Formats: sequence, C-alpha cells, structure tokens
Amino acid sequence: MRLTAAGLYLALAAALAVVAAAPARADEAAVARGGYLAAAAGCDQCHTDKKEGAPAYAGGRRLTTEFGVVTTPNITPDRAAGIGGWSEADFIRAMRWGVAPDGSHYVSAFPFPYYARLTDGDLRDLKAYLDSLAPVSRPVVEAAASLALFERARAAVGAALGSLNVGAPVTAPPSNPPGDPAVARGAYLAQTVGHCGACHTPRTWLGQPDGSRELAGSAGGLQGARAPNITPDEKTGIGGWSEADILSLLKDGQTPDNDFVGGAMAEIVRNTARLTDDDRRAIAAYLKSLPAKHFDKKG
Amino acid sequence: MNISTKWIVLAAVIVAGSLYCGTARAQDAAAQVEARQAVMKSQGKDAGAIKAYIDGKSDLAAAQAAGADLVTQVAKIPTLFPKGTSMADLPGKSYAKPAIWTEMDKFNAVAKVAQTKAEALNAALKGGDKDAITAAFGDMGKNGCGGCHEPYREKKPT
Repeated sequence: MRLTAAGLYLALAAALAVVAAAPARADEAAVARGGYLAAAAGCDQCHTDKKEGAPAYAGGRRLTTEFGVVTTPNITPDRAAGIGGWSEADFIRAMRWGVAPDGSHYVSAFPFPYYARLTDGDLRDLKAYLDSLAPVSRPVVEAAASLALFERARAAVGAALGSLNVGAPVTAPPSNPPGDPAVARGAYLAQTVGHCGACHTPRTWLGQPDGSRELAGSAGGLQGARAPNITPDEKTGIGGWSEADILSLLKDGQTPDNDFVGGAMAEIVRNTARLTDDDRRAIAAYLKSLPAKHFDKKG
Repeated sequence: MNISTKWIVLAAVIVAGSLYCGTARAQDAAAQVEARQAVMKSQGKDAGAIKAYIDGKSDLAAAQAAGADLVTQVAKIPTLFPKGTSMADLPGKSYAKPAIWTEMDKFNAVAKVAQTKAEALNAALKGGDKDAITAAFGDMGKNGCGGCHEPYREKKPT
C-alpha cells in the first residue's frame, strides 16, 4: 500500500513535470530571443549606472541630453523600484509611444520613436527577457537639475506628432531593393532595434528625427548628439568604406584608418559586437543600400 | 641712464621675458600634443598590421612584430598627458577631455587596462593561434583602445 502510494506520487510528479516543462521551454526561447534583442539595442548601456558599479538594468545612469539631464530608470522586474508591476500592454505602450503607465511622457532621449516599429512578437520577447532578470530594489535618484517643464512639454508634443506619423513612419527605409532579405534585416536592426538614427539623424526642434536627413549626421547641440554622416556619400559619408570596413567597425570598433572609435560609439560597438556575423553583414548591406546624402554636419 | 629709464628697461625685460616663457610653454604643450598623436597613430598602424593578418592579407611574422611594438607604444601612454595639453588648453589641436586631469587615477587605471590587453594580444600573437589572436584583437580594440577613447577623447583629431 505504501509502495503504491509512493509510486502514484512519483507518477504524478513526473506528469506534472512534463506539463510544467512545455511552457517553460517556450518561455526560455522567448527569453533568449529577447536577450539577443536587448543586447542588440544596448538597453543595458543606458539603464546601468556603470560609474557606481551598480547592477545591470537597474538604471541610475545620468545622461546629459538636449532635453536636460535624464536619469535612466530601473528596468529590472522589482515591483517598487523597477517595472515588475507592468502589464504587457503597459510595456508595449511605453516602448512604442513613450508613455509611462501613469500617463507621463518620456523625453525622446529614450528612443521610443525608433522602437515604435518593433514587432509585437519582439516586444513580448523583450519583456520576457526583462522579466527573467533578478529584481534589483536599487531606487533611482533623480538628478538635482531635472528636466524643465518646457522640455517635457516639447517632448510630449513631439511624441504626439510623431505618433501621427507612424502610418508613414519617420524611420522608414527610403528605398530598399525589393526582395533582399539581408537589407530588410539590416534595416530593422539599424533603424529600429539599434536606433542608429538617435544620434546619426538630426532632430527637429520637437525632438523627433528629421527624416529628410536620415543617417546623414548631426552637428550636435539641440539637434542631438554630434555624429557623422553614415550614408554612402563619398565626401561627407562613408561611401569610401568597403563592407569589410563596416564589419571591422561593428565588431572591433576599428575604422579604415586604424583608429578605434571613442565616445558614444564605443558603447554602441559593445552592442554590435554581440551580434551574429550574419546580422553585422545585414547592417553593412543596409547601410550600403541607402541613398548617398551629401551633408556636411559642420555646415 | 637715469633711474626711471632703468626701471622702464627692467620692466620691459621682465614683460618680454614672461611673454617669451608663456609662448614657449604653449609651444611645448603643442609639441607634446603632436608627440602624443604620433604615438597614437603608430599604435593604429600596429593594429592595422595585425588586422591585415586576421583578414588573411599579411603573414603572422609581420603581425607579431606589430604586436611587440604595440606593447612598447601603449606603455608610453601614461607619460603622454602632461598638464596643459587638454582640449581646453589647446582648442582645435587637442581633443583630450579635461576629465583626464581631474581624475588622473581613474585615467591611469584605464591606461593600465589597455596595457594588459595589448600584452594579452602580444602573447596570443606569439602563440600563433588565429582564433585566439582574433579574440584578443577584438578585446584590445573595444576595451583597450575604446575603453580609453570612450570616456576621455572628445573626438578623433583631424
């Protein structure tokens, strides 16, 4: 009798394990896909207070932006300090529209104008990944010189106008050779996930990307970070770069004249170095497919 | 020569002398920046030679020579940043951020990391295993060179 009970218990436990394992495996795949996307986007670069040696994704890094000083939030699943209380709908709204669950607007230092085009599946995977992280209760201390009301208002207006534009997204590829899957993949990685335009495309005064000068470089200041023209223009862009040159930059940070990039691009190289070789090649194919824009950022 | 003329001459000598010293200091600083940029360029040249081997465009011996030179060049970095050579001191010439001099300990620690990465790359080159060389090269670029350029260089000198 005892043996039978034990056997029954074992059988039950085994059956339960099988039932529990199936969704767990699906989750693991989603977490892995989300982890790759988070690495490609470099969420951890901004959402980690590296100066203080704080845990990854726990926020607290201070970014000096054209909107003022932005302190990045904790995006670990801690319910109080992080985003553990967020529903999937909350997360998708924040990523696409830059609107927090409490209805407040983010300034576009958080690159939601780029993330607006992330697919539903990718956004769900990203959330699955962030939910899989260890919750960190480290609260974020806002900078003393926080965002001025005007800057918040400007960002909110820009976001509202940007959302009207989503039918014809501001980050749309201008002309892709139809049917090249590498270019399409590269466009998604560079424009949407990697948000290259957040620095390489100048902004309008409302903080939205200026589509007419997409990836043609920015002089910095109120137009965003200073960054070079990465369209294939021979004189002002990277028209002289071979595919191998672009791959070296994305993998090791090495430029054709054997310099190693610094500043913000050194951080980006940490993201692109985590991509697969195929994905780096896709980004190179996409950049080479862009129309050359002659635009000297100094002018 | 009466007394007041003497004073005028003395004052003129002092003013001229201090002007001369000031100019000399500025010239020294400019020369120091140029010397620094020359060392950085020679490191880039070494990196290019190693990259050529990784890409199959050159032989191992050339890459090994470059690796050995790179170690000696990177070792010079802590001596290349005397006071008065920041982008604030020499705008348009230097692009070294003033933070270097306000947090010299941190800067030296980052330079030390670059040194360690260059030595690891040199060891991999001596070992001759291409995968190990490729990995060490990427680590040196991103965390050695890039690790210093990221916080401390404003932009690439033109």
